[in-house]
Amino acid sequence: MTGMELFGTWIAALLTLCLMSFLYKDNPLFRFAEALFAGVSLGYYIGITMDQTLRPNLFEPLRDSGLTLETGHLLFAGLVGLNLYTRYVPKIAWFARSSLAIYVGYYVGINMVQKLQGEVLPQAAATMVDLTGGGSPTDALNALVVFIGVLTVLIYFFFSVEHKGVFGKASRVGIWFLMLGFGAAFGYTVMGRISLLIGRINFLVIQWIGGTLQALGIGG
Amino acid sequence: MSNLAKLTSIDRRWIFLLIGLGTLIPVLLPIGFPVRVTAPVKQIYDKIETLGPNDVVVLSYDYGPTTGAENDPMTDAILRHCFSHDVKVIALALYPLGGLTSLTASIDRITAEFPDLEYGVDYVNLGYKDGGQATMKLLAEDFSGAFPNDTHGTPLSNLPLMQQVKGARNAQFAISVATGIFGEWWANLINAQYGLPIAVGCTAVSAPKYYAYLEAGQMLGLIGGLKGASEYEQLVKDNYPNTREAYANPMLQTASKGMDVQTIDHLIIIAFIVIGNLAYFADRRAKRA
Repeated sequence: MTGMELFGTWIAALLTLCLMSFLYKDNPLFRFAEALFAGVSLGYYIGITMDQTLRPNLFEPLRDSGLTLETGHLLFAGLVGLNLYTRYVPKIAWFARSSLAIYVGYYVGINMVQKLQGEVLPQAAATMVDLTGGGSPTDALNALVVFIGVLTVLIYFFFSVEHKGVFGKASRVGIWFLMLGFGAAFGYTVMGRISLLIGRINFLVIQWIGGTLQALGIGG
Repeated sequence: MSNLAKLTSIDRRWIFLLIGLGTLIPVLLPIGFPVRVTAPVKQIYDKIETLGPNDVVVLSYDYGPTTGAENDPMTDAILRHCFSHDVKVIALALYPLGGLTSLTASIDRITAEFPDLEYGVDYVNLGYKDGGQATMKLLAEDFSGAFPNDTHGTPLSNLPLMQQVKGARNAQFAISVATGIFGEWWANLINAQYGLPIAVGCTAVSAPKYYAYLEAGQMLGLIGGLKGASEYEQLVKDNYPNTREAYANPMLQTASKGMDVQTIDHLIIIAFIVIGNLAYFADRRAKRA
């Protein structure tokens, strides 16, 4: 580990400890680290968008090829983007709406097909299963669980009919299926959060303490 | 109030301390609990096993350092598998907050273990591109539309591997290692519109929703959280002896080591859930009495 890498590791370790200090109680060091993280994240996002997207995909082609038929669409896209900033000039703020309209229109168009073709139809088709399981008792049981689960959860979310009688009982079964889903999600969330803690503890033990001892020539 | 009921008002910082110790001790003294490989992970491994030396896998780094503890072991294991099996890799990043950092660090880390690999021939690092679904749709048709250059500024026309596949749709397999919604886009956009086989390695928080895509056949496999990553590591270690040295490195953060901690911490949490419930019912009974 070079001197600069070790310096960076120390900064990261101290900021990690600042954030972990919140577990004891809220304090100024935690708030400082939190604000720093938010600011650095935004700066990083702006910098990386400039360097990795706007420079190679917009500035360089326009600089190298000039304004031609092939690059004209880039200039248009650039102007649409710049136009968004007119909202900061009150007299011409309404200009920005045209850019927003283009973005909203584009993403609505891409999303409508994507959601319908890639989500609604295949997900709906996956619930229309053969209840016999093709002869396999396990598959038949799974198919039955999917069938009952989908039906009762849909009933739970159907609010045009009062939830009483048979409808109410089916709705209660739907709640149980939802609870099972939430339980699975909670279990996975616990695993996810602990994984992040493992990452930080590993960093503190291996890279920070281990790296510092190594740099000092202690413990190999 | 009984002693058991008093536990309902325990200072939560004692729980934090126990979880902290439950994490620190197995990190310092690894236990080595066995890892059982599940079908969704094995399906991804098996798919790569069917590929040959001229086949290409697109590996999308759709996460940043904030979830690196979960996602890094996945991308590392997949890269080790692809390179050991002589499959070519086109790596790219679509996640704005650190996707490029994770991508570059991972590529540098793993390619250092395979000195015979040639950049531009065996693998390419395309870098990061903003735009989400719009970029994804573009790169499915034509990589150079979205990425005129690789991350080093080299035009794609100068990279032999990029002459082999025009867009992601021409690759044999794509894996999105993702936090949040990016993996879903690979399934409901790229798989649905181009038919490219997709697999996702996701953070544990996202895993339940991805099972819906897996069950519907929109994804070929799923690596869910650190557990899934440890399973993939196990498969790679078992079948490619050349990777065992890397995984034996005590300085390396692996998912397999993390699963020791997961086991201990989960036992602590389960114990507290049981104690909390017993204390709650004891308290309620005492109040009724």
